[in-house]
Amino acid sequence: MAIDHECSCSKNPLVPTLCKVIDVKQETPDVQTYTIQTVDGKKPFSPLPGQLAMISLLGVGEAMFSITAQGDDYIQSSIKRTGLLTEAFHEMQPGQQIGVRGPYGNHFPIDDFKGKDILFIGGGIGIAPVRSLIRYCLEHREDFGHLDILYGARSMNDICFKEDCLENWPKAPDTNVYITTDVPSEGWDGHVGFVPSYIEEVGFKPENKKVALCGPPIMITLSSASLLKMGFKKEDVITTLELRMKCGIGKCGRCNIGSKFVCLDGPVFSLAELDELPDEK
Amino acid sequence: MALSEKDIELKIREEAKKALATGEVSCVIGWTTTRFPDKMKPFFAETEAECDELVWNKYCINGTAKYALDDRYPSKKFAIIARGCDSRAINRMLKDKQLLRENLYIIGVVCDGKENPICEECQHKNPLTYDVLIGEPVPEQIDEKRFAEVEAFEKLSPDEKYEYWAKQYDKCIHCYACRNACPACNCVECYADQYRTGWQGKASDRIQNQVYGLTRAFHVGDRCIECGECERVCPMGLPIMRQTRKMLKDINDLFGDYECGMPDDAMPVLGGYTLADPDEFM
Amino acid sequence: MKFKKTDLNEVLKTLAREYTVFAPIVENEEKKFMPWAESKDVEMEGLNTIKPPKDVLFPNVEKMYRYKMGLEGFIEEIFPEDTKRILFGIRPCDMRSIDSMDKVFLTKEYVDSYYAKRRDDATIVAFGCTEAGRTCFCESMGLNPNDAPSADVMMNVSADGEDYVLEARTEKGEELVKKLEGLITDGGEAKKDTKCSLVINKAEDLDKKLAKMFEHPIWDKVTKGCIGCGTCTFVCPTCYCFDIDSENYGAEGCKYRCWDSCMFSDYTRLAGGANPRPTKKERLRNRYMHKLSYFNERYGETLCVGCGRCVEKCPAHLDISEFIEKASAAELGKEDK
Repeated sequence: MAIDHECSCSKNPLVPTLCKVIDVKQETPDVQTYTIQTVDGKKPFSPLPGQLAMISLLGVGEAMFSITAQGDDYIQSSIKRTGLLTEAFHEMQPGQQIGVRGPYGNHFPIDDFKGKDILFIGGGIGIAPVRSLIRYCLEHREDFGHLDILYGARSMNDICFKEDCLENWPKAPDTNVYITTDVPSEGWDGHVGFVPSYIEEVGFKPENKKVALCGPPIMITLSSASLLKMGFKKEDVITTLELRMKCGIGKCGRCNIGSKFVCLDGPVFSLAELDELPDEK
Repeated sequence: MALSEKDIELKIREEAKKALATGEVSCVIGWTTTRFPDKMKPFFAETEAECDELVWNKYCINGTAKYALDDRYPSKKFAIIARGCDSRAINRMLKDKQLLRENLYIIGVVCDGKENPICEECQHKNPLTYDVLIGEPVPEQIDEKRFAEVEAFEKLSPDEKYEYWAKQYDKCIHCYACRNACPACNCVECYADQYRTGWQGKASDRIQNQVYGLTRAFHVGDRCIECGECERVCPMGLPIMRQTRKMLKDINDLFGDYECGMPDDAMPVLGGYTLADPDEFM
Repeated sequence: MKFKKTDLNEVLKTLAREYTVFAPIVENEEKKFMPWAESKDVEMEGLNTIKPPKDVLFPNVEKMYRYKMGLEGFIEEIFPEDTKRILFGIRPCDMRSIDSMDKVFLTKEYVDSYYAKRRDDATIVAFGCTEAGRTCFCESMGLNPNDAPSADVMMNVSADGEDYVLEARTEKGEELVKKLEGLITDGGEAKKDTKCSLVINKAEDLDKKLAKMFEHPIWDKVTKGCIGCGTCTFVCPTCYCFDIDSENYGAEGCKYRCWDSCMFSDYTRLAGGANPRPTKKERLRNRYMHKLSYFNERYGETLCVGCGRCVEKCPAHLDISEFIEKASAAELGKEDK
């Protein structure tokens, strides 16, 4: 007596939709942004900020990436070269066909963010998921209070989304942008220093503020410590996790932390929620 | 007079306690009981009290040496209860530079053979390398039938051989127990774990299982110490030693008498090259 | 209802006309569930199979879709073959593990199409154990070796040992029994007195207790002997983790999924090389926690059915039943929140 199926999807969730890369943009020496459409020119799906896509380079492999932006007929994902698969992604030219399935996972709690000031903190490629949220907030500008964007990259060359960071976002209404680089670089006259100390230096006030924090694990750990020291509450600091994923639908097993699956119950968690999980991130 | 099983057990506990008492040893790797009388499991005594849980009987079968690889840079020594086979395993891992001798304290125990068919073919019941020895060395036997099974198998036709191995590898569940139990499989990272390179597929099917079995046999090559752990641990009962023995037989045929894990400084057969090496395929 | 033991072959033959019948068959020196044919050697009684029957519903290797790479590609779903199948004679522990797999693959937002298709096509005839292996402890895990409540048909040996007694419990089961008209007769008293060999002391709330024991020193001790192979996971009837990989033939290829093991280092290793479960301690802890605590929290039942296969087959003689007893008896320390 098999139990009733509980399904929210009309098709096989493990089979990707055939899509094509219509644009490749070199963001930094090791990050590229791909603009993706279905082969018949449509948007593959409409993700909420923070959600993930399983992108498959047919014949090579597939992996989970955050969706950094979307338009009426496309989604965008920014991928850093770190292993064999992403190495192959970086060989792609416009026209390349890929498989895409998703969107997966939960999303930033936009409803909780409404009416609040928001502090966005990104480190390295961690700015990619944050950007989806920034774009959402700017598109629905009247729903949110003051916006602060703090982004740290290794050097000037490693700043992703330069147009947004250096031109578009600073011009956005009631928005402050703080960019820092880990090391000084020629031609960079902005702030130099690591993200956690910059957060303290600027001295953001915790009142009526939500934080979206993404980046490499060590930066998240240290930045969280800084924020807590400054009086932010664990419930108000929202971050994303990255673990190895294969199925994306909570079946294949590997992305669990305790009884939670990052692909299904995450990737977005508040620090308070992470406290409840075993230390295995 | 030879020591009784109980005497040896008491001596093991005594030596284990002495080793821990020096303060230089973090744990003593031996065996202890399980709830089943015919299964003794590997055990890691870290306190004097735990030393009294160490046992010695005919069911102490699992190899002890390979656990030393769990920490390749230990802050303290491992003490290992080593039979002849374990001492050969240690020698080979030392030669492969996977372990440092100064990180080991070896409590050698003369072995009378265990409840394990492979022990009947054992040519080295006396530990070959040790810091302290328990038991009187016994005369070693030469196993005349060491390659008898391989010789018989060699007489089959290629089709018959394929048929035989295909059937065996159809049973294989791709669990890597043979590799993980094998002291010769001491690479920091096995080729078979590098799935992203495409060397080894993860699917457990006839092809991938055979690719794995064959590759492992070749990789083990001259490093097999004939402890039989691969075959013992196989949950599906594959005759894995038949492959490694075939490698050893060929090595013996080509390069002269060879046994792995002897306490000499000689270069492993396949680790060196001389102009006199046979190379008929060149 | 019952049929004569001597009619077993006839029963299987009748069913095999309409279904693919997976029965416990001894072949190639191994007893396993495989499609029945006239010449096969069926062994209903005796000990359970080494490999669980889970592969009938969740094959070791399953092709998911075909694709073509490049600029003019395609993606083409592969559907499981349309076969009505019977799982004939699986034991209560294995039936209970299928209940767990149902929860994994058929609930929580997404339905796994491949599993769902095979599961819908399957009718399950469970068979009460007539003898318990020395590592069987299903009773301690809340099961009954004589009865599998969720089976479509429950089958037991009769009290006099002459017959197999049947009880159809679902529509699918009724339908199956109908096919056997002429072979079955009314009545029959099932023999249901098999006991497990191993009775263990398991704390009633072990799942909740373990949830507090993530940092407990018990893990250092119990995981030391582990050699990190996948034997326990592949002989386990409830282990369902899988990997997804592809196989290419020129420009075309096929995506498949295959069983994976949480005991392997590659399982959680990230592209950059970082690994949240770097050693066997973290891996084995995750396996035991998954079986005995995490699964309870997510799906409301424990994921160890007490079949004892891993206890029998572990090369290092690790014993989950021993762990259950130790953890049940363990004292919680300060660090265990």
